[in-house]
Amino acid sequence: MTAIHADIDALTELRAALTRFRYTQREVADRGGDAIEATRAGLEAKASRWRARLEQGQAELAACRNRAAADDDPADCSGYARAVSEADERLEHIRHWQQRVDEQAIEFHGATLRFKNLLETDLPRAEEQLAGILASLQAARRVQPGS
Amino acid sequence: MPARPDRDGDQQLWLLDDAWEKAEPHWQDDVARQFGTHHWMPLRDESRLYLEALGAMMDLLDAAERDTEY
Repeated sequence: MTAIHADIDALTELRAALTRFRYTQREVADRGGDAIEATRAGLEAKASRWRARLEQGQAELAACRNRAAADDDPADCSGYARAVSEADERLEHIRHWQQRVDEQAIEFHGATLRFKNLLETDLPRAEEQLAGILASLQAARRVQPGS
Repeated sequence: MPARPDRDGDQQLWLLDDAWEKAEPHWQDDVARQFGTHHWMPLRDESRLYLEALGAMMDLLDAAERDTEY
């Protein structure tokens, strides 16, 4: 059997640090997931707002053009056209970001699963092994002559 | 503004690294070497990889929010 040469206090502190790490990093991983969902929801809300503005702008532009055609009036619809173009560009820009976030989130999901598995499976094993070593050290100390 | 989770994670990894550095001089046997190889190093390396990926994800989320603020 291999002899264990270690300081009980140092290993107790290491074990406590591993346990703290498991809890705090689980929270870190959860907050990462929450941040992704919050950004996705925020982008969707912005897209929805600009989609509504685009639809409204398109309706106003069509009404303006209809009026101009019906009245044979050289009404200036360029303001409506600019508003439609701006809403369209912004909506497209938001969609581009939604796609980038979705793509990276899929990739990141794999890393999160691996990390959570590390926290839930591998790390408790390490803590368990340390607990076993500590128990052996404490038992050995109890049987030492003069202790 | 709440702190970014990747930065908190880095800080926690730094604290764990510190605990390992403090324990190592007091634990010099075969079990320690085995623990280092099979538990400590994979844990540290995998955590670093994850926190880097989380940092990149958070950078992208920040950019997406900034760039779509009209």
